[in-house]
Amino acid sequence: MDKILVFVEAKGNEPRKVSLELLSEGLKLAASGQFSMEAVFLGKLPAAVRETLLNYTEKLIHVTDPVLENYTAEGYSLALAGYARKTGAKIILGGATQRGRDFLPRVAVLLQAGIASDVTITNWEKDPLTFIRPMYGGRVLAELSFSAYPAIVTVRPNSFGVGASLAQKGELVEFPAGISPEQVKTAVIKTEATTLGKADLTEADLIVAGGRGLKAAANFRLIEELAQTIGATVGATRSVVDAKWRDQADQIGKSGKTVSPKFYLGAGISGAIHHIMGMDTSKVVLAVNNDPNAIIFSYANYGIVGDLFEVLPALTEELRKRLGK
Amino acid sequence: MNIVVLVKQIPDPEALVAIGGDGVSLAIEPKFAMNVFDEFAIEEALRIKARHTGKVRVIALGSGKAIEVLRTGIAMGADEALLLEDEAFLDGDGYATAFVLSRAIAQEPFDIILCGRQAIDDDRGEVGQMVAQFLGLPHVGGIVKLDVTDGRAVAEVAVEGGQETVEVPLPALFTAQKGLNEPRVPLITGVMKAMKAQIARLTAADLGLAPAQAGRSGAKVKVVQYSLPKKKPAVQIISGEPREAAMEAVRILMDVEKVF
Repeated sequence: MDKILVFVEAKGNEPRKVSLELLSEGLKLAASGQFSMEAVFLGKLPAAVRETLLNYTEKLIHVTDPVLENYTAEGYSLALAGYARKTGAKIILGGATQRGRDFLPRVAVLLQAGIASDVTITNWEKDPLTFIRPMYGGRVLAELSFSAYPAIVTVRPNSFGVGASLAQKGELVEFPAGISPEQVKTAVIKTEATTLGKADLTEADLIVAGGRGLKAAANFRLIEELAQTIGATVGATRSVVDAKWRDQADQIGKSGKTVSPKFYLGAGISGAIHHIMGMDTSKVVLAVNNDPNAIIFSYANYGIVGDLFEVLPALTEELRKRLGK
Repeated sequence: MNIVVLVKQIPDPEALVAIGGDGVSLAIEPKFAMNVFDEFAIEEALRIKARHTGKVRVIALGSGKAIEVLRTGIAMGADEALLLEDEAFLDGDGYATAFVLSRAIAQEPFDIILCGRQAIDDDRGEVGQMVAQFLGLPHVGGIVKLDVTDGRAVAEVAVEGGQETVEVPLPALFTAQKGLNEPRVPLITGVMKAMKAQIARLTAADLGLAPAQAGRSGAKVKVVQYSLPKKKPAVQIISGEPREAAMEAVRILMDVEKVF
């Protein structure tokens, strides 16, 4: 039976949500008998992460090696390529996270394999298998197939749902990678946390974003209050980041982050194409702008034409009431 | 210090993109630009050259018009430019393109390779890392700071919730992220120099490559078809005073869309 190898990652003491999404998809494929699935984790594996992962896979391979002490693209790619070869994986699946997108292209070269990056739709029932990914900032979708296997696919977070956990926990298998230290020339000197606990935009289910319409950095307070009420992550447009009201890390758009939330609220945002490129696959979009001709309304499901300085607090208050906060 | 910068000419982000009649090609309005992330790469290369003395070589793979981004590179201050121009190079996936680029880079000694973290037309973000792997080099992806000393470099990368500092020996490859620097605007003297510059071109044969190893033939990934995203239905404007509109919006989001 063909094998799918799912590369899984952790964030602190939990697996990344996208990893559970991929494992859920893999479990469906295993249940249908189309593929067998293994999950693979590289480097230090916290107990809490291990236990959760074992709820979503029958086999969790823990690849270990001194070079995997810290993330390096070289170390991770050698480790994953080595295991993928050994286990005879046909498809390697990973989340299109910063890390996944950084090192999996190297794995592709090591395995002389094709890679489809940042895929949003998978067609497992087709022969050959096809994968769909957005291009040109989401304006065109490309359906891709591979000329040979193994092949690598990175999947955009929020493309699959997280399914039910297994009735019976999976088994853990330790796999020492045996990498020669000279093969990894990158050394991590320092890791600093600057914004502890801030949720990642790319994996966020709910996003509230603000643009120049907010008029001043301090007014982002209105966005933050609304976000906090519904447990959303705050995003920003390029002009707001360039004006230094918000960090680069908050930027959504062509030179910022691509997001795919269940719900996106954009307030004081005109809808310039470079921003739209970053949020076009959001499921439900609500735009708030006092200009009825603002382009963002063409990309929204719902719109409120009004003064955000009145609308945002009104939304926050109504949400607090309905959510019992 | 020999610095190589990989640059790509892409359609202008505002250019209209349509799907060709055959479904497997794109019809794109002929307005072009340099990939925004590549500008950071060229700028960083020029700053390193200013501090360490050396040579900056910009390389692009594309059809004849792509020469414009090379001229921009020279106008900014690059010393040499190289266009990889061959029908056989076109329509490659990241793998085939990276393979060709790595062959061209390897023709001359280099210490540093810089490129953008991704091209905003294909949005793949693969080529830089693949070039590094083909050449057996370490790479640091998405750098926001780079300090080069003798034979080594220290780079900073913005990661979720913080910053990571990484050291690599040279030669190495770095992909540029927004925030690395502010790209300079070419001076008129640079623009004039660029207009007169002789830009070398290489074909597949010059690189010792068979057409099957490059472009569409050499790609590991094939385009089955292009399609347009599902058109969103027209926006539903929620009317009323802010209070009323807010109440209705929340009702829709919670009771109809069931978002939260």
